[in-house]
Amino acid sequence: MSGPFHEIEVGEFERRVSAECESGVPLGAYASSDGVHYVFLGARGAFALERPHADGRAAPAFSATFPLFSWDEREMRDEWDVHFADLPDSRPLRGQNGHMPAALLATGGGLMHMVVGPVHAGIIEPGRFTFSSGGETVVHLDAQLSYSHRGVEQHLCGADAIEAAASVARICGGCSASRSLAFAQALEHLAAIEMEPGVELARLVVAELERIYNHLADLAASAAGAGWGPGFARGMALKERAMRACRFAGGHRLLFDAIVPGGVGPNTLRETSGLRVALRALASSIEHYFKSLFGNPSVVARWERAGVVSHKRARAFGAVGPASRASGGKIDVRVFAPYGAYRRIRVDASCASGGDAFARCCVKRDELRSSFGVIDEALAQLGDARPAAPKELRVRPGTAIGVVEGPRGAETVAVHIDEGGRLKRLHVISASYRNWPIVAAAMDGNIVPDFPLVNKSFNLCYACADR
Amino acid sequence: MNALNNAYYDITRDGWDIVASPRHADVITVTGPMTVAMRAAAEQTVDAVPLPRVVVAIGDCAAGVGPWAGAPEAGAGAGVELGATIFVHGCPPTPEAIRSGLEEAGNLLSRRDPSA
Repeated sequence: MSGPFHEIEVGEFERRVSAECESGVPLGAYASSDGVHYVFLGARGAFALERPHADGRAAPAFSATFPLFSWDEREMRDEWDVHFADLPDSRPLRGQNGHMPAALLATGGGLMHMVVGPVHAGIIEPGRFTFSSGGETVVHLDAQLSYSHRGVEQHLCGADAIEAAASVARICGGCSASRSLAFAQALEHLAAIEMEPGVELARLVVAELERIYNHLADLAASAAGAGWGPGFARGMALKERAMRACRFAGGHRLLFDAIVPGGVGPNTLRETSGLRVALRALASSIEHYFKSLFGNPSVVARWERAGVVSHKRARAFGAVGPASRASGGKIDVRVFAPYGAYRRIRVDASCASGGDAFARCCVKRDELRSSFGVIDEALAQLGDARPAAPKELRVRPGTAIGVVEGPRGAETVAVHIDEGGRLKRLHVISASYRNWPIVAAAMDGNIVPDFPLVNKSFNLCYACADR
Repeated sequence: MNALNNAYYDITRDGWDIVASPRHADVITVTGPMTVAMRAAAEQTVDAVPLPRVVVAIGDCAAGVGPWAGAPEAGAGAGVELGATIFVHGCPPTPEAIRSGLEEAGNLLSRRDPSA
């Protein structure tokens, strides 16, 4: 959690941010009317190194040394007029008046360019992908997002913090519950209130159900990317069962409003014995699915060595979640900085080192198994008890940062609250925002037709990255 | 929308096929607010669907009544701006509701004279 705003010298600030980047866990950076904030993960949650705006809002660009801040600093410049003298990529991050920035191309003898999107031949969100390739081999991929930029953060500025929760839950579908939890944590920190164990257990169940339905979709799509139709069909049918379990457990297929500031929604875990039976049956079906999917040598052969991300590269780009843990990373927020019921129910971080699509699928398989385990434990501890009704929060002015491990990695929400309990500034750093540059980099040296496979092995969202 | 393709809803049984190009489509579905960045591409895509066509707006945001109504880059709902005739409400609508919306679009198309 973020403390009071410290006065800090420029040189000292640069030294401390650099030191945290080198030895710590960077989550991202943002600007507010007060200054610039660089966010990191510590053992007790997220914290920010902050500095008030200098004259003319001049600031050093950390992305020159730590490329993971490239998107963040471009956004700070575009939206908050922070003047970086030395941004390595100086293009606007988003479109301006409907005109998107030009793609970065690789040029040279024999290289050609192919633009795909923003409307795609599938049911997915909008993005423009510009391939520079020599024949089939990709030399560079430029991923231009922000087609679903709505101005979410500006729109919620001035809103009552508690009332904004329903909107925060709807910034993006696939990571809604995780974001709601991070937002709730931040507000509860400012209200100096602790949740009861039963509420924390219910929140754990909701968050793990979100992981389950997302990972099932990712594995199914990775089977499709490998050209195995039955693997896709079976995986998507299992995802449907998981989403029905979500509706049963949280009152909504996508778990919207299942977690609210002060507790959980009124439809969360009204009845647990039926849920336990349904989830045990689902877990058993999923084990059968794993056997056929990971036991299919032609699928595995397509996954291996596709979209390799080295540990060094994943770290340089600030990858989080399975994207990082499949490349030798170790950080899982649930383990590194346990929150809520994860302080009592232990999760083992699932890791692999290959860095390819196969490694990412293995991490998700292992996480699926562990999610069912911790849900079962949480439901056993909860017994017949219904989670308590949400507590009323008196959110005091200040700043706080909530961070949780979502399906795609660290979901971070920073809030600045004014005297009236309203949002002065809301900033969302989604795991997808962190990981998108890695997807593009993972395509280097791969063939164009492998893009769906490499892309789906990450399966990131657009809406929470665009906001 | 994705769920309609899974084994539980399987809309291919009812004759629906999600196609890869708007040039192959009779019905086009749109979701979300009409963001400033997406407007030109969305208009071109709808225009690429041959006449007669039906635009189906899926979700509250596409009808302009979701949480982002009034957000600086959100515009009105995609369905409102792209001439939808069928609006399926919900945040998001259930697969059953989307399927009903598509059925309605199919009925509308079969009543239309292609030469008109």
